[in-house]
Amino acid sequence: MLVKDVMHSPVLTVDVSVTLEAAYHIMLQRNIRHIPVMREGRLVGMITDRDIRLATSPFAAGGAQPIDTPVGQVMAHPVVTGDPLDPVEEAARVMRQRKIGALPILEGDRLVGIVTGIDLLEALLRLTGVEKPSGRLEVCLDDRPGELARLSGELAQQNINIHSLLTYPCGEGSVTTVVRVGTLDTRKIARELRQQGYDVRWPPEMPSKTL
Amino acid sequence: MSVPVIYSPQYQLYNFGPQHPFSPVRLEMLLDLLEHLGHPLHFVEPAQATREEVRSVHLESFVRRVEAASRGERSPDFEHYGIGTADTPIFPGMDEAARWLVGGTLTAARMVSSGQAKEVLQLGGGLHHAQKDLASGFCVYNDLSVAIRHLTQQGLRVAYIDIDVHHGDGVQWIHYDEPGVLTFSIHESGRYLYPGTGHTHEIGKAEGTGRKLNIPLEPFTEDESYLEVLQMGLEPALRWFRPDVLVVQCGADAHFQDPLAEILLTTQAYAKIFPLLRQYAAAFAGGRAVYTLGGGYSLDATSRIWALLYLTLQDLPLPDHLPEPWLRRWGTQLGHFLTHTLFDPQGAYPEIPRKTEIERRNRQIAERMLESVRPYWI
Repeated sequence: MLVKDVMHSPVLTVDVSVTLEAAYHIMLQRNIRHIPVMREGRLVGMITDRDIRLATSPFAAGGAQPIDTPVGQVMAHPVVTGDPLDPVEEAARVMRQRKIGALPILEGDRLVGIVTGIDLLEALLRLTGVEKPSGRLEVCLDDRPGELARLSGELAQQNINIHSLLTYPCGEGSVTTVVRVGTLDTRKIARELRQQGYDVRWPPEMPSKTL
Repeated sequence: MSVPVIYSPQYQLYNFGPQHPFSPVRLEMLLDLLEHLGHPLHFVEPAQATREEVRSVHLESFVRRVEAASRGERSPDFEHYGIGTADTPIFPGMDEAARWLVGGTLTAARMVSSGQAKEVLQLGGGLHHAQKDLASGFCVYNDLSVAIRHLTQQGLRVAYIDIDVHHGDGVQWIHYDEPGVLTFSIHESGRYLYPGTGHTHEIGKAEGTGRKLNIPLEPFTEDESYLEVLQMGLEPALRWFRPDVLVVQCGADAHFQDPLAEILLTTQAYAKIFPLLRQYAAAFAGGRAVYTLGGGYSLDATSRIWALLYLTLQDLPLPDHLPEPWLRRWGTQLGHFLTHTLFDPQGAYPEIPRKTEIERRNRQIAERMLESVRPYWI
């Protein structure tokens, strides 16, 4: 999943000369928290609702600024940006490291989109979500070549479609693999996988369920 | 007055083969049990649903593929429609067989909408996973939605209640934007169980918003917690919605013996659930209700639970021991021991160490569901 798949486009921007008051009203109206700031068509800074509130409050270093101050005087700059072809995890890492809530996306010099923390949560939901009716199978695989192929081979043999697959490390030398499979009867697969020595974590074995 | 029972031997045609869990043996065992209990069975013969009736909820493209598969034709795009999968394999005559089940539920709905009966039991159907263009989870056509569509077309407000252990996704999606249909599904959480949906945030859309309710339960939920949150969620919803009729999917797979899921109800719980649903029908829906079967894959548990449903609806006494000849016959046939009593013995499954945590989580889920729909209850 790439930044271009999750970014918002076109982007709402303001000119450096726009007042804090006007920029804040735009944010309220559009229900957004970040606006890229432009000078002569080029991205020069970012302004957030928090920047504006702080700048106009008595807590501001040097005292509150008047609400007709141009955003150019308050904006954050230089700006941390991303590329449309960055993977979303790269965007997430940058935003976490820099502790910023939004990343303007540039193609060369041109501003083409913006990615916010909410967009990344949306991406997480898409990656882990359920698009089709499916059952959940969780298998702990050895962390070595061919293990995943072996597992998906078993499923293919039983005419079971894989809708999505998520893996993450679980302890030394093994990987938890969550497979969403196109079947209601995941226990049947689990039983067969266990017989072949797989460490199936879900569905659980239930000794009482023999009838 | 006894509750009419809809059944046709044609229901047995809906058969995915001997290895498949959705087995017609379930019906055979149930009917045999009721007879052995000394209750002569009188059935209302359903009319098979027509193609047009099926089309009231399913897309032309989908129906055409089911018909083709049913005739023995094959096409690579069947899988896209959920046909010929591990769960819903193709069998000759599947279109006709599925239309018999739809016809049964529709006949039940017609008897209620015409005032011929208040409550009707359909001994079949409950194929709640089928979507408008997708066969899924053993379900080809959605008999429940066809019946619900008939009822709403008669101007009736319908509350659909689904106690199957799997989320009633097909019914929910088909009526997702309809203001006149309340859907309520209580099931093992989609986090763990097929079909993966049925979360509290699925509350409907457009005019239907706030009218699709889900209580996803923690795995290993037991009787008391289930009954607690069922009442917590369902009663205020019905009190607000004031349906004209209930359509109830009585899947029996939330039982602890069920091989396909992880909820731990005993038959004692079902002996409380069915009368409770009848009370709700009386209190909030003018006493009108259609009851169907559904999932249920432990033959032992399923025949006892549906016998309970039948006996409850007919106001018949609940026996303690099951008839010896029935136990012998089916025990021999299935090659394993059957529970000898209608009610499950004490301590039938190992104690659940997380019990209190599970109860707390379920309560929280029911509250979350109510919080998210209540703003729309105006």
